[in-house]
Amino acid sequence: MQEIVLNRITPLNEAQKRANAVFADKDGWTLPQSFSTTLEEYRAIREGAALVDRSYYGRLRIGGNDALDLLNRLSSNKVIDMPSGEGVSTVLTTNKGRIIDLLLVMNMGEDLLVITSPQTPSKVVEWLDLYTFGEDVTVEDVTEETALISLMGPKAGKILGTAAAEALPLYGVAEVTIGDIQLPVIRTDVLGIASYDLLTTRPQAEKVWAALAQAGAVAVGEEALETVRVEQGVPRYGREMGEEFNPLEAGLNSSISYVKGCYIGQEVVLRLNTYDKVQKHLMAIAFEEDSPAIATHMEIEGKDAGILTSVVDSPILGYALALGYIRTSYAEPGREVDVRIGDRLTKGKVLELPVKKA
Amino acid sequence: MPLTISISDKAAKKAKEFANKDNLGDFGLRVGVKGGGCSGLTYTLSIDHEPQPNDKVIEENGIKLFIDKKSYVFLAGTVLEYGDDLNGRGFAFNNPNAKTTCGCGTSFSV
Repeated sequence: MQEIVLNRITPLNEAQKRANAVFADKDGWTLPQSFSTTLEEYRAIREGAALVDRSYYGRLRIGGNDALDLLNRLSSNKVIDMPSGEGVSTVLTTNKGRIIDLLLVMNMGEDLLVITSPQTPSKVVEWLDLYTFGEDVTVEDVTEETALISLMGPKAGKILGTAAAEALPLYGVAEVTIGDIQLPVIRTDVLGIASYDLLTTRPQAEKVWAALAQAGAVAVGEEALETVRVEQGVPRYGREMGEEFNPLEAGLNSSISYVKGCYIGQEVVLRLNTYDKVQKHLMAIAFEEDSPAIATHMEIEGKDAGILTSVVDSPILGYALALGYIRTSYAEPGREVDVRIGDRLTKGKVLELPVKKA
Repeated sequence: MPLTISISDKAAKKAKEFANKDNLGDFGLRVGVKGGGCSGLTYTLSIDHEPQPNDKVIEENGIKLFIDKKSYVFLAGTVLEYGDDLNGRGFAFNNPNAKTTCGCGTSFSV
């Protein structure tokens, strides 16, 4: 008998249905693809204020006196001594320097909030548990009992209603009131665009979503988000992040401290960086004439040059744009690559990330 | 591979020397591992006076070793030694489980 695996839904599923969202499956979840048109929603992220349900990202509450120390020993950025109200992005790496996951770690005062990739909260919990011996650390997966609602775009900050919240530094935490609900807001800029993540309880989620929509934020689905993500060159778990890649290949330099001392994988990451031994790089590749599929190989002069990991139609360019890992010797803007689509060859051009208007 | 943790003559002698110098009285050595270091796990060594309820207690060469259960899994077979040559001075863990160690030798993986 075949087992039927049901996708998970977020606490906002009913509200999104009422807003006529079109749904599709992604990373084990049923999520809104779009509410209106992808282009309108794309513009809300690029030029306005977008309302995004990020509840499918994993959320862990980590407590105990040794929590910061443990995360500091296990991940690539400096986490130790992080004051309340601040945060950091950091990569859990294997001892070979490969990516377990990219984490956002925020000191919420009482405890830490850790945002993981959608597929990884259990993996991260197991990884932390494996390396916890006698330390005072508690880890709780709170993904199910909370929701994460994001405001994105140049006008997103205005909707928060306070100058202090709007001016938050990256990964900074503040309290805001949305409707009559007090809740924490975190500046995350996850797509390299101003963005604020609001952490609500499950029962509050619909009310907060409605209040933000009422205030003018435009509900946006995964299609527009994915388009902006690819243009901005932000790696996604399962596509550009995972144990096949190291953080330097994935362009996660801003999540690495080179002076903090030892963490699992540090020796490898440091060596790759110092001796310029990074084998491949995440780059954008533009395709004017055709739209290749994910996992297609790129060739330069008949030699394998890398692989495509994500493909979208880019409004900035007006044609197909891919993310892909390209061998370091070929990873320079302007390079032309050949890609096979069926029995045809089509040309792509390597671009720098984030992609800008020509 | 012996499934125990032992302490060499020399390491035991040194531990007693340090304990006498600091007037520690009745003492044991807490031996363990913790997450971190480039390879994944690092050794921990400290003075303790009593074992915790779930500790494994081993006595050899007049020294009591206290090891928590989870650390024991990674340390079974280890000999705690003391080196005083050019390659390093101080207590050292000779761990047959360690498959790789990092460049500076302070961390290992199994």
